[in-house]
Amino acid sequence: MKKLKRMYRIHRIFMAQEFKRMMEYKGDFIVGIISFFLVQLSNLLFLWIIFSRVPDLMGWSVNEVIFIYGLSLIPKGIDHFYFDNLWNVGFFIVRKGDFDKYLTRPVNTLFHVLSEKIQIDALGELIMGIALVCVSIPAISADWDVFRVLAMIFMIPFITLIFTGVKTITASVAFWTKRSGNVIYMFYMFSDFAKYPASIYSRVVQNVITYIIPFALTSYYPALFILKGKDPLFNLGMPVLAAVVLMGLGVFVWHRGIRAYESAGS
Amino acid sequence: MKRKLKIYLPFINAGIQEVATYRVNWIFYMLGNALACFVAYFIWAAVYRSGGGGTMSGFSMPQMVVYIVLMFLTGTIIASDGAYVVGEEIRDGAIAMRLIKPVSYNATFLFQELGNKLPTEIAIAVPMIAAVEIIRTVLGGAVQFNITCLLLYILSCVLAYLINFYFNICFGFIAFIIKYLWGANMMKNAVIGFLSGTVIPLSFLPGALEKVFLLLPFASLNYTPVMIYMGKYGGAELLYFLGLQAFWALFFFGLSKLLWRSSVKRLTVQGG
Repeated sequence: MKKLKRMYRIHRIFMAQEFKRMMEYKGDFIVGIISFFLVQLSNLLFLWIIFSRVPDLMGWSVNEVIFIYGLSLIPKGIDHFYFDNLWNVGFFIVRKGDFDKYLTRPVNTLFHVLSEKIQIDALGELIMGIALVCVSIPAISADWDVFRVLAMIFMIPFITLIFTGVKTITASVAFWTKRSGNVIYMFYMFSDFAKYPASIYSRVVQNVITYIIPFALTSYYPALFILKGKDPLFNLGMPVLAAVVLMGLGVFVWHRGIRAYESAGS
Repeated sequence: MKRKLKIYLPFINAGIQEVATYRVNWIFYMLGNALACFVAYFIWAAVYRSGGGGTMSGFSMPQMVVYIVLMFLTGTIIASDGAYVVGEEIRDGAIAMRLIKPVSYNATFLFQELGNKLPTEIAIAVPMIAAVEIIRTVLGGAVQFNITCLLLYILSCVLAYLINFYFNICFGFIAFIIKYLWGANMMKNAVIGFLSGTVIPLSFLPGALEKVFLLLPFASLNYTPVMIYMGKYGGAELLYFLGLQAFWALFFFGLSKLLWRSSVKRLTVQGG
């Protein structure tokens, strides 16, 4: 308990530092948010043009597709907001030998890396995601009840950890190879599959994004329950299980990696 | 000419060596990008199935598959890092080193990037063109390979690369205004992704919008080469679009010179 309290306090101090830094560069902050907003806008225009041609996408209505799209952006945005520093580990920190800094501090290294930075750009994704979910929900005729809405809110931390877990595992590769930024990138790109209902993909792809690099669990499966009330045990249980397994594996690989870490000589 | 070649060849060489160092990283990066193609394929397959097959805005499903693959290939071929590199050099002052050398700033950069790109481009273009032709033959039921289209495609890609290169150099000067280059580039890529037809073929847009977009320099980047390869442009239309590409290439070449000249006067490099 005392340990948690201390971590919480450290986290707050880091956050405060980050906000000070951001206030220094207000222009950047707007450029970053707008840029991620524009990326999403161009995808939405794509969906809009498509749905002007077809009434539904293999049984999914436009609002359902938008709901899934929006839901996929929320965990992605939260992970991007809090845990963006993992990219720096993969691209720069290990290669330049800057990881030494973390080893000398009296806090857990992974905790330190994760809590050190926040990425305000992510608000572009997050705001768009929340807006899309809120806009599409009233237009979908599902049997809404309190339980489904609560289930959605309850799931968000877990589906966020699926992103963070995948990033932690792939970032750790850098401890052995010096540089793993593009490895993170490749696996992270699988999250693109989460934008659309997984039923449009072939069986093989569906199995990969459900059981191996399980980004379908971040949007499609929770949506199956939230929208259609289908199979709560699998649709909600699997994402939670995947989050725990991936994050657990991430922590394990990270600490094994640190043992292999050798600073850059210069 | 010969003297020029002698000056700039070492830059090509340096570029080749640079890319050889980071080969494995590059493969992962390309695999990541290729995933977006798969997503695009499946979403279009779903659209065509839901729409009852047939042709949409001039594209049949097999043609759409070819379009997606060619868009990916073209995007890779004409990619240019200029905006980032120029911006970064303006920001950290490394640009000063370029100023004291008796070679053209833009040209050194062009040759370095060519060295960077040429080996990888050939390595990826040959198998992908082969793949496109196999896809076309299998889905279309007949060999559709057309050597004229391929040669014109290569010419169009060269023009597209020059437009992209000089446009990016011009965009790099934005570092004088926006410090956050990564964000600025992201913004640029999002807008260009849409305007260049990478997200969706421009023929899917409402008529008036399509006409305007076709005139903008961004359609000359990815859309024109791909349409040429697919044999969608013929005769006068073909000449018109190639001419438009040449115009935009010259336009941005001129603009980059102009910006370069005026900004050197504004440049302040700190410390040293």
